[in-house]
Amino acid sequence: MKIEERTYTKADHLRPTGYIMKSMKVTFKVLWRCTKNRPNTILYPWEKLVYPDNYRGRPGIILDKCIGCARCVNVCPNQCIEMVSIETPELGKVKRPQINVARCMMCGNCAEICPTNAMLVTPEFELASYNRADMMYDPIKLQHPHKPGYEVNYEFALSSELKAGTAKTYAKNDPNMHDTIVLDGVKCISCARCAKTCPTGAIEMVETGELNPKNKKPIKRPKFENTKCVVCEQCVEVCPKSALSIKEVL
Amino acid sequence: METLYTVLQGLSEWLLGVIAWLVDWTRLGFLSGLADWLETEPVLTAVTTLLVAVIYLITLMMMGLCFIWMERKFLGRFMDRRGTQVGVLGFFQNFADGIKVVLKEHIVPKAADRGLFEFAIFAILATSFMLFGCIPLSPQFYVINVDLALLLGLAIFSFAPFSILIGGWASNNKFTLIGGMRAAAQLIALEIPILLVVVSVVVMTGSLSFMDIVSWQQENIWLGIPLFIGLITFLIAAIGEAERVPFDLPEAEAELVEGWQTEYGDVRWGLVMASDYFRAYIMCALVTMMFLGGWDGPDFIWAEIWFLSKTFIVFFFFVWVRAAMVRIRTDQILTLGWRRLLPLAVVNLLIAIALKTAEVF
Repeated sequence: MKIEERTYTKADHLRPTGYIMKSMKVTFKVLWRCTKNRPNTILYPWEKLVYPDNYRGRPGIILDKCIGCARCVNVCPNQCIEMVSIETPELGKVKRPQINVARCMMCGNCAEICPTNAMLVTPEFELASYNRADMMYDPIKLQHPHKPGYEVNYEFALSSELKAGTAKTYAKNDPNMHDTIVLDGVKCISCARCAKTCPTGAIEMVETGELNPKNKKPIKRPKFENTKCVVCEQCVEVCPKSALSIKEVL
Repeated sequence: METLYTVLQGLSEWLLGVIAWLVDWTRLGFLSGLADWLETEPVLTAVTTLLVAVIYLITLMMMGLCFIWMERKFLGRFMDRRGTQVGVLGFFQNFADGIKVVLKEHIVPKAADRGLFEFAIFAILATSFMLFGCIPLSPQFYVINVDLALLLGLAIFSFAPFSILIGGWASNNKFTLIGGMRAAAQLIALEIPILLVVVSVVVMTGSLSFMDIVSWQQENIWLGIPLFIGLITFLIAAIGEAERVPFDLPEAEAELVEGWQTEYGDVRWGLVMASDYFRAYIMCALVTMMFLGGWDGPDFIWAEIWFLSKTFIVFFFFVWVRAAMVRIRTDQILTLGWRRLLPLAVVNLLIAIALKTAEVF
């Protein structure tokens, strides 16, 4: 077996000139630079970093846009969002999200999933307070003025279309491209709770033309208007006979 | 010449006179002897010496604080950050640290050798403070001026490995023991080149007194120029003797916790940390005194200012080295000390002897 002969050159940092002279040169350059200009440190309470436009701080809300669909409540990984009822002159008595900021991890998922872009990600991050009650941001306190860039928008493509090679991108909240609610007609008892609970009024009770054999009244079934639906799944949850289900777009 | 001592002599004479007058004023018969005794020569000398020592100690401790402050600020700039921020340009951080350290509890480990544990810290502190007295700031501002001042200073300085070893041993902790051993080995290895370089300076100037060394340099030339090799050797060895970064094995925070001081707490630890800088000051002062002309300089400001500013420049070099270098191994330090610095020191001594025999200066 032949052993390959190799010549090793000494690394620069092992030579005395590299170990002593080069390092001293480098450090002196840094000294000169930060004495002439300024050091890298930001003096935080007095100076602040310039935050990017899409900085994800605490969530904020625009109450006029919110429809109370509670999608943010479902998506929140820390379960810090809760729907509470508030009463305002403009809106009346409604349910709107309240956020426990102490538990919030600023992921911005609530703003990402919001169908009306009512939930924003604000650049506020200095949220310390002296008691925990102050960290509960009720819908009124949660409000934040809107600026372009605060809402989270994204585009998506369907995996089935990607596989087929005809990929198209859809904007967030594309009214024609989202999951749909499917009714299992056999189970439905025509209680109309889904229509009452729908926050967008996308469900309408429509007569099917048949008559109930017992009391001779027309049977009504819910009809879904897909362009209005925001897939909040409240109708699915509220259905007493589990007649509704979600059909995903894949 | 008007020195610190003669200036303070008048003050202490007046002070003792006031006390003697107060004692007389009480008209207590048994105290009349005391008033007379207060105005005798030995009491006056003792009080004046005490005053001089206290003023000098306070001055140089403030200098030590300035050194710590300077290191913190400069090290910050070397690392692209701001140093301390408390007070005016961060100067009061030292006082804040001092107050914090004073408020700490004094803890002696149960298994430690209590007597030696307490003694070691006082030994190193006492030697550090004694060193202050050996270094004059100018022909006017000094505590002692003996013929063998240089030798005395180095003798006191080399007491450090002894107390460090005792402290490391008495703490009954493996980190402190290893730190103490390393300190002893390193300090002894670097002591020899330092003494040889000092010998070359003595050969050139023909005196061990700082006053004579500086006045010789004022008449002839700053010794750093003919004995450049000696200057470099002394600087490297001085960084090692002051236990600063490329040679900070006795402390070695990353591997030995806090080195031989691991078990020490409260104000004793604080003073030991400060005494590191006091010792660094002594080393800078020795470099200034022996190679950079001491207080030699144009007359438009005080000699003390010249001396201290030169010390600061040397200490800036120390800080620069600290920012640039990484710690080297024990065997590398010993190799450097015995096989590189020692021959350099001998060469430097030969140069000094050659210059002296050729009667260049």
